[in-house]
Amino acid sequence: MELKREKHADELFKEFRETSITEFFRKNRAHLGYSGKLRSLTTVVHEIVTNALDACEEAGILPEIQIGINALNSEHYKVFGADNGPGIPLKHISDVFGKMLAGTKFHRNVQLRGQQGIGVAGVTLFSQTTTGKPIKVKTSTGKGKVHEVELMIDITKNRADILSKEEYSQYWRGTELDVEIKGVKFNLSERGPFEYLRRTAIANPHAQIIFIDPEGRKTVFERSSEKIPKPPISVRAHPKGLEVDDLINMSKVTKARKVNSFLVNTFSRMSNAKVKEIQEHVSFDLNKNPRKLTWAECEEIINAIEKVRFLAPPTEGLEAIGEEQIRDAVLNILDPEFEAVLTRPPKVHSGGIPFLIEVAIAYGGHAGRSIGDGTKCEIMRFGNKAPLLFDAGGCAITKAVNSVEWKRYGIRDFENSPITVFVNLVSTYIPYTSAGKQSVAEEKEVLKEIRFALMDVGRKFQLYHSRKRRALEREARKQILLKYSIELASGLAELTNKNEEKIMKELQNLVEERITGLEIEEAEEEIKEEELEPTLEGESEDNSEAHEEADEKLEEITEEVE
Amino acid sequence: MERQKVISKLTHLGKDITEDIMLHESPRIRMPQRGIGNIHFNEKKNLLELGDKMSTRSFLNVAHSRKFMQTILIASKCKEFVSRNKTASIRELYYQLKHTIASTKENTFDDQSESDPLIVDLETALGVLREELHLKADDKGTLIGKITIEDSEDFIDCSKLGRSGLSIPSIVEHYKFHDVEADYVLVIETGAMFDRLVEEKYHLKNSCIMVSAKGQAARGCRRLVHRLNHELKLPVIAFTDGDPWGYYIYSVMKAGSMALAHESKRLGTPKMKLVGMTMTDIDTYGLEKVTEKLKDIDKKRINELSQYPWFQKKEWKKELDLMSKKGVRIEQQALASKSLEFVAEEYLPEKIKKSIMLP
Repeated sequence: MELKREKHADELFKEFRETSITEFFRKNRAHLGYSGKLRSLTTVVHEIVTNALDACEEAGILPEIQIGINALNSEHYKVFGADNGPGIPLKHISDVFGKMLAGTKFHRNVQLRGQQGIGVAGVTLFSQTTTGKPIKVKTSTGKGKVHEVELMIDITKNRADILSKEEYSQYWRGTELDVEIKGVKFNLSERGPFEYLRRTAIANPHAQIIFIDPEGRKTVFERSSEKIPKPPISVRAHPKGLEVDDLINMSKVTKARKVNSFLVNTFSRMSNAKVKEIQEHVSFDLNKNPRKLTWAECEEIINAIEKVRFLAPPTEGLEAIGEEQIRDAVLNILDPEFEAVLTRPPKVHSGGIPFLIEVAIAYGGHAGRSIGDGTKCEIMRFGNKAPLLFDAGGCAITKAVNSVEWKRYGIRDFENSPITVFVNLVSTYIPYTSAGKQSVAEEKEVLKEIRFALMDVGRKFQLYHSRKRRALEREARKQILLKYSIELASGLAELTNKNEEKIMKELQNLVEERITGLEIEEAEEEIKEEELEPTLEGESEDNSEAHEEADEKLEEITEEVE
Repeated sequence: MERQKVISKLTHLGKDITEDIMLHESPRIRMPQRGIGNIHFNEKKNLLELGDKMSTRSFLNVAHSRKFMQTILIASKCKEFVSRNKTASIRELYYQLKHTIASTKENTFDDQSESDPLIVDLETALGVLREELHLKADDKGTLIGKITIEDSEDFIDCSKLGRSGLSIPSIVEHYKFHDVEADYVLVIETGAMFDRLVEEKYHLKNSCIMVSAKGQAARGCRRLVHRLNHELKLPVIAFTDGDPWGYYIYSVMKAGSMALAHESKRLGTPKMKLVGMTMTDIDTYGLEKVTEKLKDIDKKRINELSQYPWFQKKEWKKELDLMSKKGVRIEQQALASKSLEFVAEEYLPEKIKKSIMLP
């Protein structure tokens, strides 16, 4: 079924070797992110930025990225990208920019931003199919030599066709890219490059991102954290959560000669004992050549995996952004009145894939999305730190956000509040609804986790909100008292023949003193309340149940193996 | 009470509050509670009395702040009146104090209804009378009859004021009584009935002083009736409409009101009796056809009256029950259905002579 709906990139790769590369691209551009004028442009920016961020991360460099978009003509743009990354050695330039699916990330099962799209070579291909022009690359590893290369992809051989090559001496490090593309359109909408970069900046607080739009306006998203994220660890895929097409694709590229060794070598927590168990559930001999596996046989294996218990996958592959980093970024970019951030502990979805949820809410300041005179709420979805801009409607994250009763937390009109909700789903395998990878499928556990995380930050907001309301009340009370103080002081002065100014002064002091006293009392009461009632009724029970459920599941899986 | 003492009481109130402020304590005014919870009916004296429950008005409580400020403004203005030996009407007081609060759009007082109750607060808080604060209410009520009243060295013969009679002022403290030729005082609820009786020369023929309350009796009227009763030992007879409103007017003159319970002793006339209209009159005089049906609001008021401790005498319980049962009320002027003279020539003389009256 999966195969009919969409095609996995490896499958596609195999396909385009047989037909022509242009044909492949034309047929599958939607799956690769190149559909629609706006989306195609956003995808180009995404590929360039992702390439830079991943490279910097692996090299331990604090990224400085610049993106510029110039309008050359109607629907004809020039995109410029520059980074301070490690640079690309000359011999690898062709692979990075000129070869489709080279060094594929697909089956490293690494939690990488680049899970989306097909990599920066896709930009080369998009450029040459829409304008017929090569891309220009300038790169240096910082050792004194700079290379400038113009290249296209030789579509019959799937390799770089270098049109010009230049080398000169200069001490500089990084990569610059010039691409011309047609059939795209720039705008400032929620799905455009600007919003993409703004969100990227929030999810990547260690990066400085500069954007120059076609009007020449420059936006600098400053770095708010000096902490470079750890490069993601490569983890083998866990058998649970595998789809038939995943398995068939992997079987085509394995070096193993037998299905049983293919299974043991490819998947995490897959022992010989487990393979024997699988053998009992399948109708064919697992000693056969994996390349000869049929769809039906793969389906049998998947069904067998369902019946076998495996040790839970390791969670060290999950790299969260971190509460501190998100907070810094949110403060830096949204400058809100209030923010609350939460990173939940890892859980599993689809019976065994580890994931974790990070959420933040920001209220006031630049939070929310300005539309005309008003501000509306804004939901920022991320999959492994990469912004998900499209297909919001069908996404589990959107559904989870909308399922929260925000009224309970003092947000009466959620839709029209200056609020930004940030949700980052971290997983070695994100259950996207389609190959467009812009929308998360409604996995029960994922939905639940997002809800709980949002309720938690919602409660924090509620506390802030009631605190703010009480502060307003105190201020109003103070103003009332001060207003009547003037008249009172004058009346008392007449009654007692005492100095009116002195009475007024003491009266003001008294009022100030009492209001401050109230503030302290409230703070003390709040502490008492918190001690008595650590969480809210109803929801909290759900919450602990869910924790238990998840824990039990993990235990079950672990015990089975031992 | 001497003027000096009133001034000293007012000054003291200001000093106490100022001291609170200097010590950074919450500025407060204490005064007796004036709700029904703190009003007792003294059956022996037949008077409403204020209990000793106190309430506190605190400036720092924003629900009280405005009233607190207003009370102090009234106190300071009264101190000025007393010092200058001027007497102002409560409306004049209101206008004297009304102004916009500095740097706001708010007035110190929006309406006289804001200042009037605070005057009573001040009276009870300090234990001084309105008159002693040199404040007077509007004049209301009329007196006619063979009595000469000395007012500021003028002698007023109240039998020689034509049909209009003497208009009763708000303050009657300084009145001196001379040449009284009367056996009792008749207090009449409505002006129209008063006029009828004046035309019939009832007061002359029956040797009485007639007072018209013109609805709920004002303080001056009540104080005057009280003095006529206490000082001249004249019995007082009330003549009101036969409905809960008329009976309440009677009860206020007799036992005092809840609002001014602190002054019942000065204003009430506990020995007063009511000649009519009663529910029994309807049967006795065959007045069924000139009654009016009770409205819902009348029924509600009857229920309220029957809860009051000072309406618990068996005669009154009977009267109120009968009214509920009949479902009707009867006005004084319904007696005109017999003849214009009926009230003066038959109804009143007969009932008073036979003493067919309610306590």
